[in-house]
Amino acid sequence: MSNTDTTAELANFLAHSLELESEARQRYDELAESMAGHRNLPVAEFFRRMAAEAEHHLQEVAELAGDTILPDLKAWEFDWPEAEAPETSSYEALHYRMSLFEAMQLALGNERAAERYYRGFADASDDATTVATATRFADEELGHAAELERMMTALPQQAAQLREEDDDPHMPE
Amino acid sequence: MTEAIKLKAKDYKSEVKPIWCPGCGHFSVLNAITKAMAGLGINKDNTVLVSGIGCSSRLPAYVDSYGFHGVHGRGLAIAQGLKVARPDLTVLALGGDGDGFSIGGNHFIHACRRNVNMTYIAMDNEVYGMTKGQASPTTPMDWDHSKLTPHGPGVRPFKPAALALASGAPWIARGYSGNPNQMAKLIAEAVAHPGFSFLHVMSQCITFCPEQTDWKAIVTEHEGPALANADEAAKVFLHEDGFQTGLLYCEPRPSWPPVSDKPVDGNALAGLAASFRV
Ligand SMILES: Cc1ncc(C[n+]2csc(CCOP(=O)(O)OP(=O)(O)O)c2C)c(N)n1
Ligand code: SF4
Repeated sequence: MSNTDTTAELANFLAHSLELESEARQRYDELAESMAGHRNLPVAEFFRRMAAEAEHHLQEVAELAGDTILPDLKAWEFDWPEAEAPETSSYEALHYRMSLFEAMQLALGNERAAERYYRGFADASDDATTVATATRFADEELGHAAELERMMTALPQQAAQLREEDDDPHMPE
Repeated sequence: MTEAIKLKAKDYKSEVKPIWCPGCGHFSVLNAITKAMAGLGINKDNTVLVSGIGCSSRLPAYVDSYGFHGVHGRGLAIAQGLKVARPDLTVLALGGDGDGFSIGGNHFIHACRRNVNMTYIAMDNEVYGMTKGQASPTTPMDWDHSKLTPHGPGVRPFKPAALALASGAPWIARGYSGNPNQMAKLIAEAVAHPGFSFLHVMSQCITFCPEQTDWKAIVTEHEGPALANADEAAKVFLHEDGFQTGLLYCEPRPSWPPVSDKPVDGNALAGLAASFRV
């Protein structure tokens, strides 16, 4: 995509999409690393996969943006429906003992939030290219969500794991 | 001519990977600090992060800048000394509520009073996380999750913003680990403030205080400009619930050390030092 055929709206949309995918990727990476450190290996592996997916999407958006000049926004200048970018796993939903099913539920929520975001952007835009691009991204997120749902159905049922810390506090005399 | 490369937040992270529990609020503070550094285009080589001891105090190792992992409660003393000796550096001190308000409480009130041009980030999870969940000076009176305080600590918790105000801090803000982007903006503003800036961050300890995930539903954003009057701010800080985020108070005053055109008498100093020699 070159500068001549880019509207300010599309440039703004692409800047937000890049940030959304980049934030999702970095958070999944961070989670994979810390879950591995806490020996929750199935969940670490799953988050690693999700990071790779987000990276793949990030590259697609970057390719699409090409040499387009995008607005140079600081982290706090992006306009998100909530505090963080829609596909970013929220810290409140995490625990080192979370099950693979819970991790998938979290990722499913992220995909759905991203789909809602892209769909909303398309609905609010008057620019034909922005509408088409945002709709395509929303459909892709919908596909990811459906894939996750298939994976969750295939997963053997697991009892929720205990969240309370049962490791006694250190009590020096 | 070489073009300056614009660094992204991830470029300010070091190779060392955090060992915090997944979901620990301190990850969010790390992200906010690196986002603020990228937003400000801060030079890594002129930035120093100083901490005490605790899970929170591990943070300097995870940032690709200079850092000093100090002694428990002493981060502020080290950071102030550094800033006074090297005013050209950007200095941030950080640590937990145990580090800053318990063992380091005295340094905290005097740092507020002294007003050296630096930033202090207190990562408050209302507990001693690193030593596995004992009550701290900000733990609610009835928090009975620790075997050391089975009926709760039974002591009224500190109100860090009120304490900072009463001690003379000219810039007081509050962030929340669920909102690293707002926190990044506050850190950028804190660094730009020409004096001591105190950022109180509600940073959840998911392991020892899982109930802190409820904070998300109760945090609010301060509306309107920051209060610029200590009397008004005192009323707010004494009575608020402690979950109002944003820049809450800003009343700049000259930072320390004072500027003087009186030359320092080197001989007198040398004489004074000599008089202590045994
Ligand atoms: C002089 C000294 N006293 C006590 C300790 C034990 N100690 C290590 S960390 C810590 C408290 C940490 O709590 P906080 O500062 O709130 O940080 P968090 O781990 O919760 O992030 C204590 C008491 C110590 N390391 N040094
Ligand atoms: S014990 Fe608490 S403060 Fe320490 S890393 Fe874990 S969640 Fe964070």
